[in-house]
Amino acid sequence: MSSALSNLFWILIFPGFLFTVVLGLAASWIVRKVSALVQWRVGPPFAQPLYDIMKLMGKEILLPQEAQRHVFIAAPLVGLAGVLLLSTMLWRITIAETAFVGDIIVAIYLMVLPSLALILGSSASASPHAAIGTSREMKLVLGYELPLVLAFVVVIIKTAGHVEPGQQLSLAAISEHATVLSVSGMLAFLASLLCVQAKLGFVPFDIAESETEVASGVIIEYSGALLAVWKLMHAMMLVALPLFLVMVFLGGFGTAGWPLVAGIGKYVLVLVLIILIKNTNPRMRIDQAMRFFWFYCGIALAVAVILATIGNYYGISWL
Amino acid sequence: METNILCIPVLLPLVVGFGLLFLPNKLKLRSGALTLIISFVTFVLSIRIFALGRAEYSWAVLQISDFNLELLLRTTPLGAFILVFAMGFGVLISLYSLESMAGARRTNEYYGAVLLTIGGSAGILLSNHLLFLLIFWEIVTASLYVLITTGGRNSNFAATKSFAMIGASDAAFLLGVMMAWGLSGTFVITDIGLATTSTLPVVAFLLLMMAAITKAGALPLHTWLPTSGEHAPASVMALLPAAIDKLLGIYLLLLIVRDIFVLQSAALSTVLAIIGAATIVVAVMIAMVQHNLKKLLSFHAVSQVGYMILGIATMTPVGIAGGLFHLLNNAIYKCCLFLCSGAVEQQTGTADLERLGGLGKKMPITFATCLIAALSISGIPPLNGFVSKWMVYQGVIQMGAAQTGSTAALWPVWLTCAMFGSALTLASFVKIIHSMFLSRLPSDLKDVKEVSSFQTVPMMVLAAVCVLLGVFYHVALDRLIYPALGVGAGADVLTGTWQSTLATALIVIGVAVGLLILLIASFAKKTRIVPTWNCGEQMSNEQMIVPGTHFYKTVSNMGGLRQLYSGQEKGYFDLYDQGGRFGLFLTRFLRWMHSGLLPMYLTWVVVGLLIVLFVVCGIW
Repeated sequence: MSSALSNLFWILIFPGFLFTVVLGLAASWIVRKVSALVQWRVGPPFAQPLYDIMKLMGKEILLPQEAQRHVFIAAPLVGLAGVLLLSTMLWRITIAETAFVGDIIVAIYLMVLPSLALILGSSASASPHAAIGTSREMKLVLGYELPLVLAFVVVIIKTAGHVEPGQQLSLAAISEHATVLSVSGMLAFLASLLCVQAKLGFVPFDIAESETEVASGVIIEYSGALLAVWKLMHAMMLVALPLFLVMVFLGGFGTAGWPLVAGIGKYVLVLVLIILIKNTNPRMRIDQAMRFFWFYCGIALAVAVILATIGNYYGISWL
Repeated sequence: METNILCIPVLLPLVVGFGLLFLPNKLKLRSGALTLIISFVTFVLSIRIFALGRAEYSWAVLQISDFNLELLLRTTPLGAFILVFAMGFGVLISLYSLESMAGARRTNEYYGAVLLTIGGSAGILLSNHLLFLLIFWEIVTASLYVLITTGGRNSNFAATKSFAMIGASDAAFLLGVMMAWGLSGTFVITDIGLATTSTLPVVAFLLLMMAAITKAGALPLHTWLPTSGEHAPASVMALLPAAIDKLLGIYLLLLIVRDIFVLQSAALSTVLAIIGAATIVVAVMIAMVQHNLKKLLSFHAVSQVGYMILGIATMTPVGIAGGLFHLLNNAIYKCCLFLCSGAVEQQTGTADLERLGGLGKKMPITFATCLIAALSISGIPPLNGFVSKWMVYQGVIQMGAAQTGSTAALWPVWLTCAMFGSALTLASFVKIIHSMFLSRLPSDLKDVKEVSSFQTVPMMVLAAVCVLLGVFYHVALDRLIYPALGVGAGADVLTGTWQSTLATALIVIGVAVGLLILLIASFAKKTRIVPTWNCGEQMSNEQMIVPGTHFYKTVSNMGGLRQLYSGQEKGYFDLYDQGGRFGLFLTRFLRWMHSGLLPMYLTWVVVGLLIVLFVVCGIW
């Protein structure tokens, strides 16, 4: 019984819903503030993301007449639950350094859930704009999954010599090793950073909800509390996805003392990199994005896989 | 009596099915109900056989001097477990067919062939004698031919193609069986145990493997499957290519790899791994751009085989267990998907994705079951497809870590193909779900209704099993998969972590949190139904429909892939089409020789005589 209660505490309070939401709203404030500074604006006050959510909660929910309402309403909830599970899992593993819920493959698959929820929700909204958004979002997922898988392979190869045979997939074991400190690890990290950029739907990969092209595409028909749930989900992704990168590539997040400070530093570093990419690039077209991920990132990572294999074989750890 | 129990599930459906096959179709019997009853009886018996543990049955059919032909039946944990599921599919499809085949002309033939399939597959799964296994195998092939022809126009072409391809592979099977017999001197499967160290056993292995992968539908011998998918009734596709053919093909492959041969050649497992990885990616890439619902599903039926073969090729416990579990899972969700497609085609009159849409409101049960099965095949946690794929990935990674040799060294390639194939699968199922159930309802489908419960019950059962096997996968592994493979319960097979029940509970809590947010908001403001925002334009419903058929044109028009896609469309990579072209060339050549001119024939006669003389003289 106590384990059920403690699981409930983890998912709802810490490090689950409450913690991730607060952190996520803070992170989305950082995104907006830094973007503003880059563009020579003042930027919003700290609580602005929270105000936005509160405001949306007070607005009425509009349901399109032709929509498949069950899917339309359920989609944001499933997306939220998926990110919540991912975030809780990653934090629990960081804090307790034991297995919780799943391994690195599970994490990669859970990261698909928000995109999938977005796709189903937009597809259910019966709008032609949303249908275009659906198609774009799905193709974007297709695009970045290939480099993400290859980066995962690099990580497995690089950590192979450092963990026990049975622990190869364990996130706790992988996060003890900073894969980024090698040529192949660096390539894999950079490519994964771009994948995370695409997962977050930030420029240059904001193709699915590009406001100026398809009027917010995937979320065009969402309003009120349903839109608030999407915003919350996005804020939580701002916590979970960079944390995943920190754990897999940058040697993990400490829990006390200097490692904790270093962990926060790593997280902020990833976040700032994402923000800078967001603010210094134009939006790609969907076919450009797919070609970018499949061919350029794919080839770079294939090279990384080969380098890592060679490095492993001859015992050259910097390759 | 206890041992006769093995005999009944084989002989009862075979006898009744054979009888039904030759009854005139004008004789309106309740053949559907009869089939349902018999399939149910065999299902119950199969459960008893499964519970029975080890049992054997032998019946001397023929004895000529020292050549002894015996019908040897025996239960193995693997065979008995697959038997239960094969018979289960038989029951569900019989139930589904009661409604879906109600208006068909050749019902007696249809149900007869269904029973022959059931009996034949029971025979394959229980037989311990290679020759009888081959006979039962042929019965299943022949009944597939009959079943496909009960489809609409052009189904004869599809049936012929399937029969030609599977028949050719069956010939290879026969040759392989003969070689195995010649090498080991016995037909009894459990006694063979050939080592693959010299050429002959390797050739025999390849021949038997060809039979197995053709039946299961792996590259490059898969092309019968999409063609029949387009023309055969959906219930036939759900019964044979989606479920039973897979079960039998992979069962044979496991039999070959584990019982008949002792695999010692690394090259053979590389061959298997290449077939597996290529099947996953190539078939799913083709599936993505299809417009016909059933054809699209058929290509997925091909693609999923790749995971099973790859899992077996890893030769690690977790990989083989994953491959076997994937076999089971795939049979379940693919069967469900074909049944859903059949329901939709039956109610709307089309399987063309371009003409469907918005059916989620009209056919809610079909939609829900199809969505579950689609998410499952795409490997979305916590459904069953995820678990078995995850196990196959572990197998590949473990192989890379523990083994040496070319197959193990190339593990990044296999892993990338498998994991990326999963994303591609998701993409094509998003297309299906969007174009069929979501998007907008075309005006001519306004009066579509849900199918009756004869058809929804099988779909719901299969979807529920998808969820249960996913959430409680430990039970399935401990009770079914590990015993079937001879791995002790509680053995440390898995290297990864996936606490599925906890994860499911947490997802449910997460959804509840979201619902709470919506509930709080609903106190503040009411919801309102509004027309879809279309930038203020006045457009008709039809003009606003964006079907999913164009989704992946971006992929098929990409430089480098475009040529491959157009080549595939023209059948360049279809061994059947290429074989047909070669045959055509051969007949043209023969026709050219048979010109009807006497001097020509005389020349041939003289040339022939000369050759005969030369040979005879040479020998003397």
